Amino acid sequence: MSRAGSSVNVDPRLRKPTTVMRLWDWSLPPHGVHREVLSAVPDGWADEPRATRTPPLLFIHGLAHGAWCFAENWLPAAAAKGFPAYALSLRGHGGSGGSRQRRRTLMRHYVHDVMQTITELPQPPVLVGHSMGAIIAQLVADRYSPRALVLLTPAPLQGAGATMLELARRKPMAAATVVAGGTLPMQAPQLFTGLDDATADHYVSRLVPESPWVQYELLRRRRIGPVRAPVMVAGTKADRLVRVADIERTAAAYGVDPVWLTRADGQPLGHDVMLDTGWDRALDSVLEFVSANTMSRG
Amino acid sequence: MTIAPDAWAVIGAGPHGISALKALLERGIPAHGFERDTDLGGNWNYHAENSRVYESTHLISTKPFTQFPDFPMPDSYPDYPSHWQVHEYFTTYAEHFGLLDHLSLSTEVVRCEPVGPDASDGWDVTVLDRTSGTESTHRFAGVVVANGHNWWPKIPNYPGQESFTGEIRHSAQYKGADVLRGKRVLVVGAGNTGCDIAVESAQNARSTLHSTRRGYYYNPKYAFGRPSDQTADLLLAMRLPLALRRIMFKTTLRLTVGDFTKFGLPKPDHEFFETHPIINQQLVYYVGHGDIIPKPDIERFEGDTVYFTDGSSAEVDLVVFATGYLAHFPFLDDSWLNPDGDHPVLARQIFTPAFDSLVVSGLIQPDSGQWTIAHWQGVLIAAYAEAMRDDPRAARAFYDQMMDQIQVRFTGGADYKESTRHYYEIAHQEYLRALEADLSRLEGVPA
Repeated sequence: MSRAGSSVNVDPRLRKPTTVMRLWDWSLPPHGVHREVLSAVPDGWADEPRATRTPPLLFIHGLAHGAWCFAENWLPAAAAKGFPAYALSLRGHGGSGGSRQRRRTLMRHYVHDVMQTITELPQPPVLVGHSMGAIIAQLVADRYSPRALVLLTPAPLQGAGATMLELARRKPMAAATVVAGGTLPMQAPQLFTGLDDATADHYVSRLVPESPWVQYELLRRRRIGPVRAPVMVAGTKADRLVRVADIERTAAAYGVDPVWLTRADGQPLGHDVMLDTGWDRALDSVLEFVSANTMSRG
Repeated sequence: MTIAPDAWAVIGAGPHGISALKALLERGIPAHGFERDTDLGGNWNYHAENSRVYESTHLISTKPFTQFPDFPMPDSYPDYPSHWQVHEYFTTYAEHFGLLDHLSLSTEVVRCEPVGPDASDGWDVTVLDRTSGTESTHRFAGVVVANGHNWWPKIPNYPGQESFTGEIRHSAQYKGADVLRGKRVLVVGAGNTGCDIAVESAQNARSTLHSTRRGYYYNPKYAFGRPSDQTADLLLAMRLPLALRRIMFKTTLRLTVGDFTKFGLPKPDHEFFETHPIINQQLVYYVGHGDIIPKPDIERFEGDTVYFTDGSSAEVDLVVFATGYLAHFPFLDDSWLNPDGDHPVLARQIFTPAFDSLVVSGLIQPDSGQWTIAHWQGVLIAAYAEAMRDDPRAARAFYDQMMDQIQVRFTGGADYKESTRHYYEIAHQEYLRALEADLSRLEGVPA
């Protein structure tokens, strides 16, 4: 895995210098809301020397999801393999506050929620962002140097315009809903390829409305500053929300090769890689990357 | 203590020291910090010998620009946290980033000596272990000076001062209002400390005089329900010109506080932004209650009486000189940072012409919060140290460019009044824009 920033293959159109000026953060800071942080920490981890112990993982969910989607399988499984694992619910999602301000919520409010959660962790975490959460993870990594950055089926860095056009062609009503400020309709077939109907429908029933402004912000192209952390970009070839080409472009922005997540039989997972059948192999890929890229430096 | 051969030394573990230490380590530059006190926090470590915060000290700027940008203060902190919370915040920061393994507490730097011509072979840093009393010398690649500039008292000298029969105390020796109770107090100086102490004196002393050389703008902490520094940053974000911002600030002051002269305060003799901002909502209130009597500059002392330049006089039990601090580097040869003997002149307030491997962090007096700037000074220093190690030619070119710009000051277009307190005054946004461009150049990423 090459390190970002030094590779010659980096796509320069998606890069920018270090951002020092954060005028809106200084003049109109987000207010805090109650935050739900779910966690699973291996016994005795806190007593190990910090220089050699496994780094904490902080999971950031995607559009309309919540910390629950990681608590379902990944948090306990990661802890069982020795990694302290945390997942937060962004404001307006899961058990966090702020849902009444949903229609006034911007991406920078989510960045604020993640930064607050980070400061409560005992040491710099590996940021693991899923879908929209991957955009947030990248915005956070533009301010804070994480131990590593893992982007899972990341919403496109270059903006979701092409995705929207494709959606408008295939499902004009869904696209119209988003334009009108409604939440992107997501059904089981878009998120999962392997779950039985009852489980899939149960997960879909847990989705909550998303801020319209945040959805609009996803259309925007983002440029990333110098990132010194090791970066993993992972997607699936059966993803019906994030196009394979967009995953490849995100990976190219960091000068890394994308990792394609599959089940043991070689079948690709759906968009929600932490819930779909085969989540265990997807998690193993993440943990292998983290071990290989963070444990040597100590 | 084990120190890598090409490490940088960081002197002081206040906010600038810990952020420089963190920035270096984060870039993989070995670094080691030294702090003479038993705990980190510098000025904000209330119990330390050289801490100048007093019991009631609160920030005078709000969290967003005051905090380190990569480690925000908790949502549970108020807009203007107390010095206790600030110290807790620095401690959490140091623990989160694992700085304690790279920091020697109770260890005072007594001497830094360059090795080889122009320190080309590094620095020998001699430290005193204050617990055991033993000295030891360690070789470093470079030195970051972050020992602060608000601890060495600047004491004025008025005629008759030595024979004054009352008590004279510098604000450096002021830790709480106990010393004021029941006394006739004269507070000298209208910095933020002077105004704080005048207010505490109004609440505790028998009577309070407040001597200032000129009239000032006393800015409220809140105006129209919003922290005023955030509004100031909003106006800067909108790139409003200085003249317009002056009008808006003066109008806001007029509408929220009123006309200072009607309270008996002298009319400011200068324009807005020409002096370091005073943030104090209570001073004017106590002047209006007659609990603070404004006075001009002191002319002389005589017995227990103080004479002022307007011909008035008053008997006084206690004089508190809130007359500020001077930069002082007891571990460096005076001729290095300060060859003219007046005050250090540094490029970007960081780089000195004396040596390219001796840098300073924290010698700034921003018109804003401070630790966002501390963070970026640390990042620039770390990027420079990295270039010195990995690409010495690029580092040299950058240093030469800095030296070419040594006279550049960041005033935001204002003419600062002549005063020692304005030696290090910077307009924060203009200054950070310069650091942003510097970083882009050092990191080789064009904007």
